[in-house]
Amino acid sequence: MKRWGRVGVYAGLAIAAAVVMFPFVWMVSTAFKLPQDAFDLSLIPRPATLDNFARVIFNFGFGRYFLNSLIVAGSAAALTTFFASLAAYAFAKKRFPMRDTLFGVFLASMMVPGLMYVVPQFAIVSQLGWMNTYRAMVVPHLANVFGLFLMRQYLAGIPDDLIDAAHIDGASESRILFTLILPLSSPIVATLFLLTFQFHWNNFLWQLIVTNDASLYTVPVGLALFKSAHEELYTLKMAGSCFSIIPIAVLFLFTQRFFIEGMTKGALKD
Amino acid sequence: MGLSRSLLRRGAEALPFVGPFLAVFLVFIAFPVIYSFYLSAHRVTDLYDVFGGLRFVGLSNFAELFQDRVFWWSLLMTLYYGALSIPASLALSLALALLLRRGLKALAFFRALFFMPYVLDLLVVSIVWTLIYSPHFGVLVRLFELVGVGAFTEKGFLGRVSTAMPAVVLVNALKGSGFGMVLYLAAIHSIPDSVFEAADLDGAGRWHKLRHITLPLIKPMTLFLVIVGTIAALNAFVEIYAMTEGGPNVDVGGKALGATWVTGYYLYRTFYVDLKLGYAAAMSIVLLAVCVLVSLAYVRILGRGGAR
Repeated sequence: MKRWGRVGVYAGLAIAAAVVMFPFVWMVSTAFKLPQDAFDLSLIPRPATLDNFARVIFNFGFGRYFLNSLIVAGSAAALTTFFASLAAYAFAKKRFPMRDTLFGVFLASMMVPGLMYVVPQFAIVSQLGWMNTYRAMVVPHLANVFGLFLMRQYLAGIPDDLIDAAHIDGASESRILFTLILPLSSPIVATLFLLTFQFHWNNFLWQLIVTNDASLYTVPVGLALFKSAHEELYTLKMAGSCFSIIPIAVLFLFTQRFFIEGMTKGALKD
Repeated sequence: MGLSRSLLRRGAEALPFVGPFLAVFLVFIAFPVIYSFYLSAHRVTDLYDVFGGLRFVGLSNFAELFQDRVFWWSLLMTLYYGALSIPASLALSLALALLLRRGLKALAFFRALFFMPYVLDLLVVSIVWTLIYSPHFGVLVRLFELVGVGAFTEKGFLGRVSTAMPAVVLVNALKGSGFGMVLYLAAIHSIPDSVFEAADLDGAGRWHKLRHITLPLIKPMTLFLVIVGTIAALNAFVEIYAMTEGGPNVDVGGKALGATWVTGYYLYRTFYVDLKLGYAAAMSIVLLAVCVLVSLAYVRILGRGGAR
């Protein structure tokens, strides 16, 4: 009886894994198929070809889109983490006027639905003359309230004595932050970096509306516009999709602890 | 005097740390919320100079919005989206969490596998599914043909009014269920063993334990996921953009309306395709109001005996 229960659980897991992974297996498989085999029901491409990847890179600019995605997601993640670290240090370890009010306002802003920002942010960015720049894609999202919240919680757990001792040794504030606090907080720094990288890697709508120059498209934007222009090039669409899915999937597999903890922390905090 | 001077000094000390974050927050988060209200009271008059030609129109955007049948329809479709997606995601998340019982070998492996789709790009995942759902040659259509169901062949799953929304929702539920699963796992694992042992002694079966112990004890997590799901429904856009573009059309009282025309998609079309910034801003304010109401309702429900 007990044994059958275990068999049932593993059968359930296997079915669930097959259903969840099916689209990704299908995507990779189709990306290696010849165009005329796109709808072949076999999961193994026969014959297999690298032609689709070569064409999306050389004829349809996906190399450039990939580079743009890296630039946008990488710089946004670095700057977001930097800004949040600076602010979190002050919110966790310093007393200054309006501190708690300000933090309350930050937290309240998390209730505003994301779509509400799109119209006014678009208006601001275009009036600043930032359309078609990397800065338009990156700067509006650099104040990550959830990131600040995560970092502040973590920094608050670092003993004050440590900081006082560094002060007595004559260390400057920035030295304390960068050589003492941040190394001690490396898990949360890594978490925030990865989460913001992932967010910007996948941030489609915003990047679509602030660019109309193909040399600035990120992978999702390039793919969406490719899709509407070449609806019938199925194998190429799947090869292009791989450029978005595979890097994040690999990154996730190596750093999953940070991703899972970071993404669920908001819900588990109370 | 001395006090305010020390306050000032403290403020000046904190400024280099808080300044960069605060500046971005003020310009790109706080100001936009206020600016939305300003925009909602204006109308674009010159499509070539969107901001130069803003004309004050008072509340007429809202007046027009409340008489806009497409808007009401979009709210109805958003409700439909939520009514399908929330139960589907909860059920999938819970099923996965229950499969991953404590002490299971390979728990970490399956947890990572089920969570992974959550970090992937919804747009790209939607494009992959569009291929799977496609008419005539799509893999799903042909699998249905193999078991003798040809009803989906002609239009695929996204082209039929009756299946379009469920098909879109399924993509999102499959992609997002890993998130709910991890939260449910944490909640289930925090239930003390002794509770289940006591139930075992009373001869409670597996179903009985699920219904009378597990489900009530993870209720706060369920409520949290319901709110997250509601907000996601109100913000749904990317999957619609990639899979159906709001369609296929349904004839409602002589007017063609999209079977997946949710408010998030209507908002995008209004400001990006039609360039009606003021009207879109008014729409986003209604969305904000709905979100706040939902969150308040959530807090009240939680406060009333739902808390752990």
